[in-house]
Amino acid sequence: MLPLFFKLLFFVTFLCLTGHNAVALAQSPAPRSSNIEIDNGDLNKATESITASIDSQFGIIVENMANVLFWEPVKAVPIPLIVIILLCGSIFFTIYHNWLNIRGFKHAIDITRGRYDNPDDPGEISHFQALTSALSATVGLGNIAGVAVAIQTGGPGAVVWMMLIGLLGMTAKFNECTLAMVYRKVRPDGTVDGGPMHYLEIGLQERGFPFPVAKCFGLVFAIFCIGGSFGGGNMFQANQATSAVRGMIGDIPGLDLFFGGLLAFLVGLVIIGGIKRIGQVTEKIIPLMCGIYVLAGIIILILHANQIPEAAVLIVRSCVSPEAAYGGFIGVLVQGIRRAVFSNEAGVGSAAIAHAAAKTDEPVREGMVAMLGPFIDTVVICTMTALVVIVSGAYNTPEAGKGVEMTRWAFSETLSWFPTVLNISVFLFAYSTMISWSYYGEKAWQYIFGTTKKAIIIYRILFLGFIVLGAVASLENVITFSDLMILSMAFPNIIGGVILAPRVKVLLQDYWRRYKANEFTVYE
Amino acid sequence: MALHASTVVVPIDFSSASASAINTGLEIVENPSQLYLIHVMLPLETMSPGVLLGDVTDVSRTAKVTTALKKLAETHKATDAHLAVTIGTPGLEIADYAKREKADLIIIPSHGYHGLKRLFLGSVAERVLRHAPCRVLVLRRPD
Repeated sequence: MLPLFFKLLFFVTFLCLTGHNAVALAQSPAPRSSNIEIDNGDLNKATESITASIDSQFGIIVENMANVLFWEPVKAVPIPLIVIILLCGSIFFTIYHNWLNIRGFKHAIDITRGRYDNPDDPGEISHFQALTSALSATVGLGNIAGVAVAIQTGGPGAVVWMMLIGLLGMTAKFNECTLAMVYRKVRPDGTVDGGPMHYLEIGLQERGFPFPVAKCFGLVFAIFCIGGSFGGGNMFQANQATSAVRGMIGDIPGLDLFFGGLLAFLVGLVIIGGIKRIGQVTEKIIPLMCGIYVLAGIIILILHANQIPEAAVLIVRSCVSPEAAYGGFIGVLVQGIRRAVFSNEAGVGSAAIAHAAAKTDEPVREGMVAMLGPFIDTVVICTMTALVVIVSGAYNTPEAGKGVEMTRWAFSETLSWFPTVLNISVFLFAYSTMISWSYYGEKAWQYIFGTTKKAIIIYRILFLGFIVLGAVASLENVITFSDLMILSMAFPNIIGGVILAPRVKVLLQDYWRRYKANEFTVYE
Repeated sequence: MALHASTVVVPIDFSSASASAINTGLEIVENPSQLYLIHVMLPLETMSPGVLLGDVTDVSRTAKVTTALKKLAETHKATDAHLAVTIGTPGLEIADYAKREKADLIIIPSHGYHGLKRLFLGSVAERVLRHAPCRVLVLRRPD
């Protein structure tokens, strides 16, 4: 067997190629922390110096990755490469699958309601549970803080592009989740292993690609997925959850470090301690928190009903004739797409890992359930947040702050008690997202390093370390790193997804014919 | 030279290769009750959707695999074979089981991958070879 050491070496070398100093990134927290002069009694200064050095290391990676991801192939139209891939990919899937996001919407809801749930089908969870699981990873700070960031940097017009990419992203999600189901591996004990790394490796070989090329697609995806699990699925969450706590109890010295440690401990209880009850309770509370959040948003919008037409006009107007301050038309488009994808992860491939666990022998059926994810996440929740931020005037009130603070300010304008609920939501969303992403990251890690105990424990410890890092490093580069890693996953996933789309189309046509002919057994 | 053994461990991953390993085992032992079939399950991830939202537990997994093992033994006319289901790293668990049962032979198929596949997939057979307390018969892939 190839020793774990060589695989780790391969992983680090890859990161070095994308950003010269990845090794320093992985090592920097530990040695530097030993140099902290805590004796001076100034914990804040020590923390600041650590975070500044960590931030500069991230800066190097971010710069190198951004050079590739945000390279603008057409100088006259400055749209970054990754945005072109995401946009073109989503448009392609939507047209290629003949507007399934619209024609299959009702059927998707029927499936999620359990109408076709056969308890004897292979898999681990029902369609509804698979959707809940995927949503617990996507619904979170992207919907609360991300929308505020989109409006702040792209103006109100960014909301239109967020919604559009949410709608188009539904079919991208369908394509990737169907593929995850087709190429998943059901073990003899009934557990399932699936996701883009598997369908890229096996599927591309079926399409005639040689093994090294197919494996390369799988590996690149897995590496970015691990990066995403440390970034957007971890540090970004820890960072914003800490920010929410700071907003609640004030800036106490050493709070970041303490809270980061507490978060890591709580996540560690589940992923290392094996205390599943905590994770189970969190997963069950999340839909409730979503409900409370949406309800509060609806109340605010009803109370401001007379301002909604004005807000809608503002959104549409600034989308087609955006102000120069927001980078013009292209600037708004790019911001809208980036924030929407960061929130709903359509085209990124992460949710496919969760959906692969669904109990069904019809891959297309789970793909259709997955389609509802971007709709709920972006078209419903993000749009509602955006409307609240706009009707409250938070987006052009400097004292409203940035990110999650802006959303908190917007809600508290009407509902003074809401910030407490929002802070609890932020904490719970962040917690459940971290748990879900630790699973995605670990699956990708297993794909590269194997399933031995040693390999798995290394990943879990690293994951917990990054939580603390995210909590203390409230800095720009860390957030950008999170963004870049998640967006990078779309590269192999969308390109591979397009190559494999004909297989999905054949399955969809067959499924749709049987559905229209009423050939499916109804269990409800 | 004929191979003789009275306690033979055969790891089962339910592939066609492990089915042929049972046949080889039956040729060696005098009685099917001298065969010890083991399947090793990977530890459950507490954060997996099946554990958090579904009803996947070690008990439910063990029951499922035991039923499948029984069925497999029946199809090979080896209903007297001993069956075991454990959780852990496959290579190490197989070697431990052989130690516990004082086996004098382990029969394991090798997938026989080469090049990159070999590099990334590794081999349970190799790990069994390194840790086994007894002789190990590695069956080559037919091609």
